[in-house]
Amino acid sequence: MAETSPRARLILALVLAFGFAAVQGLAVLPLVMALAVSVVLVFGAGRVVLRRMRAPMLLVLGLTLVLPLISGSTVLAQIGPVALRLEGLQAAALIAGRLLSIVAVTVALLATLSPFDLVAGLRALRVPALMTDLALLTLRYLDEVTTELRRASIARSLRGGKRGWRALPDHALLLATSLIRAQARSERLWAAMRLRGYGTGLALPNSPLHARDWAAITGAALLALGVVWLDRTL
Amino acid sequence: MHLPDGIVPVEMALAGYACSAGLVAVALHRIKARPDPQAEIPRVAMLTTVFFAASLAAVPVPPTTVHLMLAGLMGVMLGWFAVPAIMVGLFLQAVLFGHGGLTTLGLNGLILCLPALLALRLWQQIGGRWPDLAAFGAGAGAVVVAIAIFAAIVLTGLPAELDARAERAAVQIFALAHLPLALAEGVIVLVLLRVLRRIEPRLLPDG
Repeated sequence: MAETSPRARLILALVLAFGFAAVQGLAVLPLVMALAVSVVLVFGAGRVVLRRMRAPMLLVLGLTLVLPLISGSTVLAQIGPVALRLEGLQAAALIAGRLLSIVAVTVALLATLSPFDLVAGLRALRVPALMTDLALLTLRYLDEVTTELRRASIARSLRGGKRGWRALPDHALLLATSLIRAQARSERLWAAMRLRGYGTGLALPNSPLHARDWAAITGAALLALGVVWLDRTL
Repeated sequence: MHLPDGIVPVEMALAGYACSAGLVAVALHRIKARPDPQAEIPRVAMLTTVFFAASLAAVPVPPTTVHLMLAGLMGVMLGWFAVPAIMVGLFLQAVLFGHGGLTTLGLNGLILCLPALLALRLWQQIGGRWPDLAAFGAGAGAVVVAIAIFAAIVLTGLPAELDARAERAAVQIFALAHLPLALAEGVIVLVLLRVLRRIEPRLLPDG
């Protein structure tokens, strides 16, 4: 499955994500999570998914801690003024299950692609050239700009930069410097693009759909529809 | 401030996609009407990269640290280009970092694009006469509008069986907790635009 084309992966991710998001009951949630784990394993993306799950896990933790305590009318347990409520617990489980499954599938299918392939997939899905060019150039320079900003921020701290609210103007100055540098870089970049004959979008590899892609898309669509059907009938 | 996957009903997520697609279509139409839109792509891409990188870094806003939204600043500096730039940024954040979501991409687009366009309007209306006020208003106002749209979506989208009063209280606490971010962004945009007006006015729409 690792050979699935970028365009097919984007379609798979959207179909499965919307299928999982349509689940309204807890009964099919274990199936949804099992499907998500299967996709992660089939695409060999276990490590990448685990690395990228930190932010969603924190969110899930917050929801799981807050919702059962503030929402619902059926009290399951009570310690003083704090009550654990059934409806809040169910809502937290449903949201957490859907969220983690969708993020796992998205990361497994798309974060494992190279930036170039990801943007080629978007272009093949008829996303306007202006947006795919923006995505490609943003990805191309993101590491460089992030490193520059981090370095400038460390330098500011080492020079004994201010802290708290008084540091905000310094952050604005850092950002202004980066924007001015970006403007200068963009002028050089535009000159280089014109020299290479830039016309209707940057050159990207074609991302055609093969028989295995169609099979994967059909399978994913059937799975998503099956999950929704089971959810509505159970 | 991103809506994650799985929070809102799928119908709402699809409606968000439809509205965002409409907004992107309008923005692209306005961009194509410009004299040489292709020549602006490298500049927009480079500025988008800076905004994207800056929003990933944590800025201290006591008693905690926050991630800047910069929607207002993008609106002022990129004009209608802010809409495709924000959509691209949100897609990359969802796919590469697991922030936001794939199904909520459309709704998140609305949460950030509408404030960006309002900030642009504010800057165009009063930026010439009162630049500092316009800059602070664009930065802080964009955050406040984004919080309002976010809260409206969450309150409409959460499951009906949840306690409405508790939901409202939670969203109010969330909104109040984000007010320091609005203030911080207002200050940052004010200082930044003041510096750019003096050093590199070409970066501003009327520069």
